[in-house]
Amino acid sequence: MDMKRSYYEDLRLFSTLPLSLWLAACAIGALAAPFLFGNYLLYVFGYIAINVIVAIGLNILVGFTGQISLGHAGFFAIGAYATVLLANAGLPILLALPAAALIAAAFGFLLGLPALRLEGPYLAVVTLGFGLAVENIFAKAAIFGGATGPAVPAFDVAFFPGFSREQNLYALIVVIAFAALLAVRNLMRTRTGRAFVAIRDSDVAAACAGVDLTWYKTLAFAVSAFFTGIAGGLFAFHLGQVDPTSFNLMLSILFLAMVVIGGVGSILGPVLGAVVISLLNLKLKGLKMADFSEIPLFGPDIAAFLGRYFMETGMANIQFIVYGAILVLIMLFEPLGLYGLWIRAKRYWRTWPL
Amino acid sequence: MDSLGALPQVLFSGLAAGSVYALIALAMVIIYRTTEVLNFAQGDMAMMTTYVGLAFMVAGGMPFLGAALAALAFAAVLGACAEFMLLRRAKEPSVLGLIIITLGLEMIVFGFASWKWGGEPRDMTIPLAPTDVTVVGGVIMSHLELAAIAVAALVIAALFLFLNRSKAGLAMRATQQNRPVARLMGIRVRRVEMGVWALAAVIGGSAGLLVGPAATVEPYMMWDPMMKGFAAAVLGGMTSLAGAALGGAIIGIVENLFGYYVSTAFKSVVPFAVILLMLAIKPSGLLARHYVKKV
Amino acid sequence: MLDKFRNAAAALATGLLCFAAPAQAQPAALAGVTDTEIHIGQWGPQTGPAAAWGSVARGTAMLFQMVNDAGGIHGRKIVYHMFDDQYNPARTIAGVKELVEKSPGIFGFASGVGTSPGLAVKDYLMERGIPWVGPAAGSLHWITPPQKALFALYPLYADEAKLLVRHLVEKEGKKKIAILYASDEYGENGHRGAVAEMQRFGLAPAVEVAVNQADRDLKSHVLKLKESGADAVLMWVNPTHAVITLKTAAALQFAPQWAASSTLSDVPLMQTITGGLWKNIIFASFSELPDADLPEVKKYRDAFPKYAQQGERWGVFFMAGIGFVEPMVEGLRRAGRNLTRESFIAAMESIRGYKGLMGKVSFGPGERQGQREIFLARTDDSGTRVTQLTPWAEVK
Repeated sequence: MDMKRSYYEDLRLFSTLPLSLWLAACAIGALAAPFLFGNYLLYVFGYIAINVIVAIGLNILVGFTGQISLGHAGFFAIGAYATVLLANAGLPILLALPAAALIAAAFGFLLGLPALRLEGPYLAVVTLGFGLAVENIFAKAAIFGGATGPAVPAFDVAFFPGFSREQNLYALIVVIAFAALLAVRNLMRTRTGRAFVAIRDSDVAAACAGVDLTWYKTLAFAVSAFFTGIAGGLFAFHLGQVDPTSFNLMLSILFLAMVVIGGVGSILGPVLGAVVISLLNLKLKGLKMADFSEIPLFGPDIAAFLGRYFMETGMANIQFIVYGAILVLIMLFEPLGLYGLWIRAKRYWRTWPL
Repeated sequence: MDSLGALPQVLFSGLAAGSVYALIALAMVIIYRTTEVLNFAQGDMAMMTTYVGLAFMVAGGMPFLGAALAALAFAAVLGACAEFMLLRRAKEPSVLGLIIITLGLEMIVFGFASWKWGGEPRDMTIPLAPTDVTVVGGVIMSHLELAAIAVAALVIAALFLFLNRSKAGLAMRATQQNRPVARLMGIRVRRVEMGVWALAAVIGGSAGLLVGPAATVEPYMMWDPMMKGFAAAVLGGMTSLAGAALGGAIIGIVENLFGYYVSTAFKSVVPFAVILLMLAIKPSGLLARHYVKKV
Repeated sequence: MLDKFRNAAAALATGLLCFAAPAQAQPAALAGVTDTEIHIGQWGPQTGPAAAWGSVARGTAMLFQMVNDAGGIHGRKIVYHMFDDQYNPARTIAGVKELVEKSPGIFGFASGVGTSPGLAVKDYLMERGIPWVGPAAGSLHWITPPQKALFALYPLYADEAKLLVRHLVEKEGKKKIAILYASDEYGENGHRGAVAEMQRFGLAPAVEVAVNQADRDLKSHVLKLKESGADAVLMWVNPTHAVITLKTAAALQFAPQWAASSTLSDVPLMQTITGGLWKNIIFASFSELPDADLPEVKKYRDAFPKYAQQGERWGVFFMAGIGFVEPMVEGLRRAGRNLTRESFIAAMESIRGYKGLMGKVSFGPGERQGQREIFLARTDDSGTRVTQLTPWAEVK
């Protein structure tokens, strides 16, 4: 562990110089991407960045405050709908986004109230119910556009004069993602952040030490919902449409998986988790029986065996098996997630050749 | 259209639906009590059990009852394997970590079943036709619904007898109350945990075998019952079996009452509103004892 | 101290190097077409909740294989790019963008299941003028407003509903018609069309009952239908819900005249999964029936065992994958050897009265709804034989 010699060191945003340089390099790289890559990769990066924002937000709640939420897709949906509706009502997009996020935060605050007395599976069910309720209400109510969802206005924020719409959107997403990263890093060094961690470690002890549980627990929900809401608004523009059925339980589970796989309670963790799960989501497309025949030595035998006992038409379902296996293996071998693996690697090289 | 005369029918239908939820709730509670794991794979394990039962019926030519028993045997093996290979291997698992493991298991089972049998819905014909009904006092009770209620009641009774009157059940209760001491007393806790998972998988599988004939057999068949079952378990208190059964019944009835008298569109959400109200009054569920946390 | 800066410098250098990747190769001037190949893509739910509709994309695969085996189109073979989007628009966009932007690009897209996935990519495709033929969803969004490169085929759900209601009222004399509809765009479209048509007759629906996608317990729904005293029920739901509805209704001794939308028109499938309850059902159909004795159907049905994957079934969705893409193949043929986007669009616009597996298809300058005709049919008491009730006809 690095020893801190002064209070100022403890408060620093970046504890080491290489870390801030890495971050700067990533930032430069991310902002340079529109000049280097085509539309498809920008879309992928944007999708990953949106998931990073959600993962960071959820991590505040799950990782730092020790609560559980199976309904974060609800905040995502609220952010998306609120942004689109506000933008349709005439608000400029750069104002609609934070406004929608504040609305999501308000709902987060409301959801935090039951959380005060509940924990574990009880809290999980309440959040699950919240997610379901939001999904159902958005899908049915006519003012929200019913089953088709509201029409998303064209994204007209311009960062650079020469940029196309997709590039502008990508730039906005990346800027917000980095801002979120810095914001959370900063938050965890403030009194609020320390209160969150205290609640996670032992809320009874925290209460004894003077932490106002009511305020900080609901605040944790609200802040987490704020980040998720902004990500939802960005997602609406990224996709170009809002489909109420996509904000379902599966999405909430995905968000949770991002945080847990990446590593709860760290900043880098959710980022890694978001990247891995987003890529898995987009890249795992169906295999064909022919792919199995190409395995050396046993290929054709495996293909024949599979052909006899498995439906060829259902081949694409292997992606679920792979997905599930990755989740299970990571959790079995490294409870701290990808971040834990990273720490191990660092420690290994730091203490090498011992 | 709205008539109080339909009330008994709605109540009965709710009870029948609730029996299925109760079975899933029982399965989840059994696992949670003993191993403190929320098993999100319960629904899809039940789905796989149903598919296996269907395979025995169609490919193996077995009659329904035989195929069902064989499927339940498969479920027991599946549950035991899941515990042995996955849950036991987790090092210092946190609550969230265990949830993710069960979610991963759920995806693997789902992918496997979808791959083997495809996404198209299938039919599961059983000796009870949909038109087999008994009419009691104006309430039409289909034999399939009666079977669901009967199975749930049977399972609850069997569980109570097993846990309170048999040595294995005593071992399970002991393991739940204090694992290290149970071990010291000579109980093979690892074997008990495997047995718990097997038992839960069998109970969940029976729920699947009740849903399959009433609807169709397809990969997503247990998603909704699983969520309602989970909600029922929480409603009743995650540590109480009677609570799980009661929770299932309440959710089934409330759901159907709301669906008939108010709106079918929001039918799925109402049970959660009920739970929220309940938990606001009694945070540990209906029938659970509120354990005071030790600091 | 020096060490720290050296480490930092190394870190920075590696970081910047990561991003110095070469720029993406831009697709060729005429994307997706070479001297010997035409590249066509399709998205489809091969997995996920809508996996039963995955057979649409696989049907198109068979059509293209047959075309290639017969020599291709003017010396070019069709290279088919099918991907799984799980009915998730985010994935659809990713897949479409990847196919379009990676060399050699895509000439056009065929069919594609789902309104939401389709809407997500519609603007992207139309901005680039990429032709898209036969989206597998009967939504108004494809033709309002009509797009130059989007050729819709699936008849509108609302039109089906109108025809069914008309038949129920005029020919069957039903006065109390109830509607059971799914809570999604497909169900709502049918719902709206049915109500509008009923109003024309001065009737109101006996009751309107919505069904959620994941619901497996429809007892309260069926009870509501029964208590409304309806003598006919329109079903705008997916096959599983239709099955649960029929079984529950049979138990509750409720036997109205059932009328089903075209997504339930796969009679052999429905007969099997309802366990024999698919009797006397009136349904709408946008394609010739799977076991029809017509040459255009037999051509594919006879080739099916040779081309289809193991486990595939010769059903309505598989046929849809063929029928919605036949006009595209016809358009490619008419465009001739000199294939460009403009020549293809002009060729499509010249199609009048083309008959394949579906109804007659006609396009024209400004006309982008190719098929408007549907027909009604009815299953008999055994549930296996089907009698056609109305001829192929446009719904006015």
